Amino acid sequence: MKRYLPIFTVFAILLAVGLYVIDKKNQTIPAQKMTRVSGDIGEFGRQHSCARPPQFLSRMHIPQPVMIDLSQKRFKGIALLYGKGFKKVLHPKQWEQYAHFGTYAVDEKGNVYLVPIPFISIHPDTFNLQKNIYKLDSKSGKLSVLMHFEGIVPSSKNPYGLNTIAYDCDSRTLWAAAIDKSDYSTQQGVIYHIDPKSRKILQKIKGVDVLSMALVRTSLGKFLLVGSARDNGLYAYPLKKDRLLPKPVRLLTLPDPNEHIRKIKIKGNNTLELQSIPFTYALIARSDRKDRMYYRVTWNREKKQWETEKM
Amino acid sequence: MNKETKISLVVLAVGLTAIAIYWFLPQNMGSAQTSTRHSAKEEKIILPQYDRQVYRDIPQVQQYISDLEKMIRQGQAVLPLQSSELNSDTRKVQALLLHNASFLQDTKEGGKLLHNDMMRILPAIASSLDEKSQKICSSHTCYQAEKYNFVTNATTRAIVDADDMKVLAVERYPNTQPDISLRLKHIAEAIALHAPEVARELGHTPAKKDITMANVRGTMKESPCENTDHLCVAPTFADHQKEQALWAVVDLTELKLAAAKWAGLGKTTTPACISERSLQNRYIMKHFCQKNSVLEKNGWKITYRLTGSDGLEIRYVTFKGRPVLHSAKIVDWHVSYQQKGGEKLDTSTETYIEGRRVEFVKGEDGNYLFGYNDAMGCPLFSTSVVLAFNGPQVRALKSGDGFMLTQDFRNPKWPMACNYRYENRFEFYNDGSFRVVGVNKGRGCGDNAIYRPVMRIDMALGDQEDFYSYDGNWKRWDSEQSERVPDGGERFAYKVVADSDRQKGYYIEPNHRQFHDNSRGDHATLFVTKFKPQEGDKDLLTLGSCCDLNNDGVEQYLKPPESLKSSHLVLWYVPRIRNDARPGHEYCWADTVIGDDGNLHVQVWPCTVGPKFVPLERKK
Repeated sequence: MKRYLPIFTVFAILLAVGLYVIDKKNQTIPAQKMTRVSGDIGEFGRQHSCARPPQFLSRMHIPQPVMIDLSQKRFKGIALLYGKGFKKVLHPKQWEQYAHFGTYAVDEKGNVYLVPIPFISIHPDTFNLQKNIYKLDSKSGKLSVLMHFEGIVPSSKNPYGLNTIAYDCDSRTLWAAAIDKSDYSTQQGVIYHIDPKSRKILQKIKGVDVLSMALVRTSLGKFLLVGSARDNGLYAYPLKKDRLLPKPVRLLTLPDPNEHIRKIKIKGNNTLELQSIPFTYALIARSDRKDRMYYRVTWNREKKQWETEKM
Repeated sequence: MNKETKISLVVLAVGLTAIAIYWFLPQNMGSAQTSTRHSAKEEKIILPQYDRQVYRDIPQVQQYISDLEKMIRQGQAVLPLQSSELNSDTRKVQALLLHNASFLQDTKEGGKLLHNDMMRILPAIASSLDEKSQKICSSHTCYQAEKYNFVTNATTRAIVDADDMKVLAVERYPNTQPDISLRLKHIAEAIALHAPEVARELGHTPAKKDITMANVRGTMKESPCENTDHLCVAPTFADHQKEQALWAVVDLTELKLAAAKWAGLGKTTTPACISERSLQNRYIMKHFCQKNSVLEKNGWKITYRLTGSDGLEIRYVTFKGRPVLHSAKIVDWHVSYQQKGGEKLDTSTETYIEGRRVEFVKGEDGNYLFGYNDAMGCPLFSTSVVLAFNGPQVRALKSGDGFMLTQDFRNPKWPMACNYRYENRFEFYNDGSFRVVGVNKGRGCGDNAIYRPVMRIDMALGDQEDFYSYDGNWKRWDSEQSERVPDGGERFAYKVVADSDRQKGYYIEPNHRQFHDNSRGDHATLFVTKFKPQEGDKDLLTLGSCCDLNNDGVEQYLKPPESLKSSHLVLWYVPRIRNDARPGHEYCWADTVIGDDGNLHVQVWPCTVGPKFVPLERKK
């Protein structure tokens, strides 16, 4: 038996090296070109959210419910609205210091993670602010930079940087995306998987421009739903062991090619609610009601297809 | 070495090789779903020349406009369906509806009649009926009639009981367009057949039989066309051999070709919802934002491109082989409004108007100024808010002694309030003169606006240039500085000359209303700075304050003032224009009025500014 030891050792070495190489290679995976095949991601219900209100609210005796206002219409940065008709406002000056935010995600401790947005006009610090993920601390209520991405380079030809974020309650990690390197002819956006504790990037998927994202658990597993900044499609990336598989499935296409999915809400009962805008990688504001379209999309089990209904 | 060790080494070598191959293998191999069979032939977009007159001469269009004007004169607002589209029943239904107050409720605005067309009258469809109508229509003959309001972009549907001649229901659908009448279909076909761009693309004059209209009523129904308020259809010319089709997008609100597009016949490439705006954007991006274009005409050679935020830029300009300009562009339009009540002004929070951040500056005597900086540029992937509309155009000068290269920039909602339209224009004369021109076409937020276009002009007279101003004698500027251009006075107030050859250079002729373009003058400030690449050779994102009238933004490049002796110079010319909305005196203004045909018409009162550069030898 002893004479076979070298063979067993070689197999063990190859196995270890092989696993290491597979893992390393998956750290940076180029995204597959988004496919045009309608996809079945299984059945899904209402999703459990681990999000909790920030702890500083109870210390300040601010009652629930609280609404996060990132519209930038009345307040720069982030503002919290509460009270009857959400008429009361919490908006310390410190929450303005990083300018404008596009969207947010909340974790189980009440920390709010925010991504920036270049809003209407460009200032000397606008591009630099697009390189950060921000955190509104649950305990202190202080807004700070969670992570800075030096490799993100917005410019006059594409002023966007990090532009969307989602929190994964299972792995307690963040999914974020940036579209700074994309131009008219090439799609070079990146999806980042991030550990907010260690501030480490766990995975990168390159070559995809994402405008919105949401996580969904279904009868077939877990998926990252993605609204494209590039086209009018909704895509799903399968997740295996908290790692994104690089091959997305195109779930559906909105009727107008100029529409891009800006918000994805999981309503349960195999139904999503989508909000779309005519996104152009430019600074034209799309705040007009007329610019926004709302859709209810439902997976029809019998027909095995997504059905889209304008709301 | 025993046998097992040898086997181990072989296995190790094979295993490591396999791992290495795996490492270098591209990830996307084997992703069979990335379909290439769907990839369409490259789509070609054709933008029209926007001469509506071409279509006004088409008999069907002429007759239609004449009918509209006659109808409005007679105090009616709904153009009825022609008898060829009616039978004895529907004729009666139409007559009933044309006198029904509820059906006609939205046909007047401010005492003016609005253009409406009856689009179709057909047997009522069960799904269009409410419960009450369903009951009646189960035993009676019912019709549904649809009319379209071209001004408000709304469809009205009426259900009529033809047996009792009663209107059962009237419903209005804002921002909705119905299927079009046969008459409009024929007009759309006629426009497509007469469009010079279509004939050029097809390579022959098309005939009516070449048109397929199958998709018109279905897929084009929600087409935004020029904007979402227009009724558009798409007559199609199919070329089955080449497996492609030419889609002629016809705007029936404006009665013109809006755009055309070659697309594959395959399902995935059918432009199910062509938008003129998106076609234009793609055309502009591909041809003018992604690459430089070159224009050679009348001895001039001009390289030009659209920028991300500095409008239309001309570069490497030569006249008869002699360098004239490194670059010229309008980097910004400062827009400010004067108001009283500055002492009460609260600037603690930011203010936005029509999606733009407004800056406030306190002035003197209790006045304050508010406004914003308007960057012009490419429609996609840019930091602009006033976007290139159609591509750059070359046109003859009215004076007949040259041509212009011009680019239209618009806010998508112009001429609505707080939306703007600018033209960047470069005029090139046959004698080697040229003029940098900014045109403002309103409308803005009010009648108290001050506009300041910031023009950057980088001459190419050699590495060493000298700049002079004239106050009876030519005085050389030895250091970076600025001055208000005196109103009136000398025709040639300044000159810029080559250091190496003092005969080579240009006089600068500010606009004192002498250019016969209804201008009220430039009232400009002129700056001269030493060339630095970071000072505007590439896109300038921001430049100073919109509203501080003592600061045009260029001042920052004068601090500290550097010597200009034997330097490569850059001229900055910042005119100052005050708009006027008084009836009969309009200037930098636009308005929308309801015309004799019941349709909306835009009236524009442009203001034109900018200096002319005349070769030194021309004065002799």
